[in-house]
Amino acid sequence: MSNSLSRHLAWLFMSALLLICIAPAQSTEGGVGMVLGERIPEGFDPETGKRIISNERCLTCHGDEAVKTDVRDDGRKVKIFVHSKQIQASVHGEQECTSCHATIDRVPHREAPQVIVGCIECHKETWDKHKDDPDGKHERLKVVNEQADNFMQSIHAQPSKQDQSRTNATCYDCHEAHNIGELGSIQRKEKRLKNPEVCGRCHEKQLADYRTSDHGKAVLEKGDSKSAVCSDCHTTHAIDAPETDKAKLAITKNCGDCHKDAQRTYFASYHGQVHRLGYTNTAKCHDCHGSHKIKGPKDPTSEIHANNRLENCRVCHKEANENFLTFWPHGDANDGEKYPGLWTFKIFMQILIFSVMAFFWVHVVLWLYREVKDRMEDKGFIEDLDHPDVVYFRRFPAVWRWIHGLFAIATMTLILTGTTLLFSHTGWAKAVVVFLGGTEMEGIIHRTAAVIWLGIFLAHLFIAVGNIWRKRDTFKWFGSTSMLPNMKDMRDLRDMFKWFLGRGPRPEFSQWTYWQKFDYWAPFWGATIIGTSGLLLFVPEATAIILPGWMFNIATLVHAEEALLAAIFLNSVHFFNVHFRPERFPMSTTIFTGKIPIEEFKHDHRLEYERLVESGELEKHLVRRPSRRADLAASFITTVLIMTGLALLSLVLIGLMTSPS
Amino acid sequence: MGAENMNRNETMSKKVRNLLLAMLVQVPAVVLADPTGQALAFTCAGCHGTDGSSVGPSSPSIAAMDPEVFIDAMQAYKRDERNSTIMNRIAKGYRDEQIKGMAWYFAKQKMAPAPQAFDPKLAEAGAKLHEKYCEKCHEKGGRPGDAGTLAGQWMPYLNFTMEDFMSGHRDYPRKMKRKVDAAVEAGGDEALRALLHYYASKQ
Amino acid sequence: MNKINRRDFIRLAVGTTLAGGTLGFPGLLLAASPKVVVVGGGVGGCTAAKYLRKLDPRIEVTLIETKNAYTSCFMSNEVLSGDRTLASITFDYEGLKRHGVKIVIDRVSAIDPVNRQVATEGGERFGYDACVVSPGVDFKWEAIEGYDVEVAEEIPHAWFAGPQTSLLRRQIESMPEGGTVAIVAPPDPFKCPPGPYERASQIAMYCKHHKPRAKILILDPKEAFSKQGLFRQGWTQLYGFGTDNSMIEWIGGAGGGKVESLDPSTRTLQAEVEAFKADVINIIPPQKAGKVAFTSDLVDGDWCPVNKMTFESSRHPNVYVLGDASNAAKMPKSAYAANTQAKVAAAAIIARFNGQDPGDPTFTNTCYSILGEEHGISVAAVYALDKGTNTIEPVKESGGLSPMDASPAQRKREVTYAHSWFQNLISDMMG
Repeated sequence: MSNSLSRHLAWLFMSALLLICIAPAQSTEGGVGMVLGERIPEGFDPETGKRIISNERCLTCHGDEAVKTDVRDDGRKVKIFVHSKQIQASVHGEQECTSCHATIDRVPHREAPQVIVGCIECHKETWDKHKDDPDGKHERLKVVNEQADNFMQSIHAQPSKQDQSRTNATCYDCHEAHNIGELGSIQRKEKRLKNPEVCGRCHEKQLADYRTSDHGKAVLEKGDSKSAVCSDCHTTHAIDAPETDKAKLAITKNCGDCHKDAQRTYFASYHGQVHRLGYTNTAKCHDCHGSHKIKGPKDPTSEIHANNRLENCRVCHKEANENFLTFWPHGDANDGEKYPGLWTFKIFMQILIFSVMAFFWVHVVLWLYREVKDRMEDKGFIEDLDHPDVVYFRRFPAVWRWIHGLFAIATMTLILTGTTLLFSHTGWAKAVVVFLGGTEMEGIIHRTAAVIWLGIFLAHLFIAVGNIWRKRDTFKWFGSTSMLPNMKDMRDLRDMFKWFLGRGPRPEFSQWTYWQKFDYWAPFWGATIIGTSGLLLFVPEATAIILPGWMFNIATLVHAEEALLAAIFLNSVHFFNVHFRPERFPMSTTIFTGKIPIEEFKHDHRLEYERLVESGELEKHLVRRPSRRADLAASFITTVLIMTGLALLSLVLIGLMTSPS
Repeated sequence: MGAENMNRNETMSKKVRNLLLAMLVQVPAVVLADPTGQALAFTCAGCHGTDGSSVGPSSPSIAAMDPEVFIDAMQAYKRDERNSTIMNRIAKGYRDEQIKGMAWYFAKQKMAPAPQAFDPKLAEAGAKLHEKYCEKCHEKGGRPGDAGTLAGQWMPYLNFTMEDFMSGHRDYPRKMKRKVDAAVEAGGDEALRALLHYYASKQ
Repeated sequence: MNKINRRDFIRLAVGTTLAGGTLGFPGLLLAASPKVVVVGGGVGGCTAAKYLRKLDPRIEVTLIETKNAYTSCFMSNEVLSGDRTLASITFDYEGLKRHGVKIVIDRVSAIDPVNRQVATEGGERFGYDACVVSPGVDFKWEAIEGYDVEVAEEIPHAWFAGPQTSLLRRQIESMPEGGTVAIVAPPDPFKCPPGPYERASQIAMYCKHHKPRAKILILDPKEAFSKQGLFRQGWTQLYGFGTDNSMIEWIGGAGGGKVESLDPSTRTLQAEVEAFKADVINIIPPQKAGKVAFTSDLVDGDWCPVNKMTFESSRHPNVYVLGDASNAAKMPKSAYAANTQAKVAAAAIIARFNGQDPGDPTFTNTCYSILGEEHGISVAAVYALDKGTNTIEPVKESGGLSPMDASPAQRKREVTYAHSWFQNLISDMMG
């Protein structure tokens, strides 16, 4: 017993001794060392040897309600009081004072202390440490860190122009550091209502303006936390100088967080479309409504009061006249009560589009079905490989070929530049507009293409009328070569459907089939609608001299809808009829070569063929097959145009399908 | 007795054990490097008492002294920034890390309060003055801390210190003059004596 | 639970020892209580005994001392001025006993380093694992003709505090007004280098009030002495030094201050140049290590050579010689020096018991001299060992004397510091 006791004692003694000898050596290396049995000095961390300054210690001075200020040696008064209960109730309630005030190492302070607090590192480290915690207690830190990143990129985090050693603003300039509440807490609600005053500490003029606004009155006078405070528009952390595009875009977008309908209708307008493409050279919310002084339209000091509105229009539209005032900037074609005219046009256009497309797509599908079926049964028009086409029929003179080619290019250009605005919500639209060099450039291209398009249309009219005039003696308005629709076209249409359904033979056609006639006459309608509306929108100031402002709303609507119809029809139905139906697939180059193989002519235009044979005029129209190079060139051009058309169709369909409204 | 001691052993954490093992291996190198903080601190005992609890009224107790205050004082002596009779000559004999070693040695010692007579009435008056003018810095009645050691300190030593402050031989720490002046204004000529008796009463 | 068991620990400890290249005392690792015998109950012996117990309560410490109470030489000059009684500088060994030190009152006859035994005149033998020898100084009685132990009963040296101090005090008190006190200072090295000069100051301090026409004559074989500038300055301020009416006169070696013989019957001192007759004579003879150092073969010349890393004798292992008897150049033979040396030795002994190498030693010296009621001066030094030369060197830039331009307030403060120093030193060695 005594032996084991002494052995235990010996062991104890040795370890104590060793530690005694070792500990001070350790301490000279910066740490206290882990010393068994030795008294660790109170107020020092035994692990690190660093002083622990308890919150209680800080609060002996900073929590003294009787002495809330202190006087510095230079006579300056400083607030030193800290509301400890407030901190305890805040998200940082469990933090030590020195966790944030990390430079405070001595109490009493040996030198007048400065507030040097870094929030970001701690929040990052804490998040890194706890992001995988199952309790999700630190989930909010994710947002905090994202916002911290936003802040670091913001104008506030940039060096101040007056003093480059500090930033324009930092976390605790806005966040009341000792009083940060959890989500849904009373602090946060209070904080929201205080937001304008917090920002106003630096942005004094803006606060003064804001006080007069509807937003400001609601927030500051009525305590309505639903009305807009600074951060609702400017964002909380990703704040940029308001001169930057980024800030302008963000602010306009943020208005829509509350004013959803206004934003929806704004985005439907030309102004909104340009904005949505990422460009700010257009009317944005605050351009018309004003920013900090924003008020309702009835207030005579409001920027959107009837008396003041024109001035805003004239910022961009320098020549704007009174008629601009009748423009509906938020005109809503879906709102039949408020905008019946617009609504009517929209309904009409949509019925038109729907019925035309429905009819022709059914036509396309059935046609496809019939030809495929025939082919499987070895029927229909099949190329005779033993007797390749050598004799061609001259179908189009050079002038029509040129007109069609240019017309196609102009149309596609118009579709591309127009739908970019129409589908400004899409990614492709933003890419295209950048590719083209911005919305202004796009406007120029669109107008140029429009002028060419109209020019071709008129030139064609001129030539056609001239031709008729020259042949006025012999011209038969309803003859076999006439473009005018007649009763046979109606019968052909009926018989085609019978054929599609296998209830009759394929009808035989004259020089122009009914679908060709439709393709020809449709642009007359389109040119009228698109051309007229386009001209109205071409120079708005000029239009407004004679027409009321709401004409722009209607013109914009029908221009877009009709263009959409044309774009879809041409690039689907027209392509099928001419190029993609199995008899023609992959393409017909006739419109560029002007020649059609005589067998094909016979098949599609048998009546005319027979008439020409009968009248002995056929010989006049027969030509040799196109040269190899002419054939290749035509194929090339056709291919490019078809591919372009299909690409445009895809873009349009993407735009339609992703359309937010 | 043996069992009790063994229990203490058993509370040793793995970390301590590892440290100990590491140290064992390194002992020759570590010990030869320099006198230990303890060895250095032992040489102070002739004036400041064994382990820093002084029994001589003019030299202060430095046991349990806040280590950073100790370092500050020694560095100030070393740089002749604090008036002294002898400490400036002694402090110059030590390197910074040696001073740190001593600081930690003394910080870990328990301070035996100076056995000295005091006037309870004066001490009572001093307690009130302390609470009002001194406690915020010299917390817990002037116990060892970041503002030095007052409680249980020798009166003659503290008297020298105050003489030095008031005569301008030593710079007041930040804000202290204001408080001393205010205490003297409130407590009259006896104020400082009362305070010293209060600290002496903490035995 | 993770812990290291005893067996692991010992294995490691032994392993470390072997790795360290020193076998040391592996046997002691298991021994319940190593034994240390301390010879001499002065500053060195007492401090070593106390700190051995403080650092390692397992060690059995026996302190052998001839007297049953300790009278400090430091501050004993204040007895001469009447500022304090002999009782106020006399202390019993109860404090050390409370630390668990065994006190034996006996005289050591010799130490047997081979058998590790200490023999006393009382016939006892004490075995030891380490022996601390701190015998202080002894006089070279033969140096001054006519002065020996018997004569010293009449003409005191008063260099060991006690009856000799009282005798000198009585002689000064009974000296007629206008009488002369002659102090014969010893040549270097001797214990308490400023002692003779402080003594002159303290006697002057007494005479200034009671025998204002008295003279104090210091006959000194040396050309200079400790704190000389400060002493002269103090004497000038207090005792008219440098004037015709100076109470204190110092005759150095060049001025014929070396005393060669004494005629006790006529109280005449024969110096190199002339003879001096005095009413009171205080002879402090030249010094060497205490007697036991000689009987135990620990000396080389007058003093005991030691390894200054540990203060272990260079002549015999396991014997540690401390304080005035050791050759601890460049440390002075002072109480404070002995105090810090003792702590170095105690730590070294314990390191050795544990099979470890000793830590680097560190030393200081602080020494006050009181020249008048309100006039104190000091010298201080911090030392480190130059292992290459086995010399204890003052740390550069540190230490030194009280400044010559110190204010009267500071001089006055140093007196109180001296008294605090005294209390703390006594307490540290035996309290």
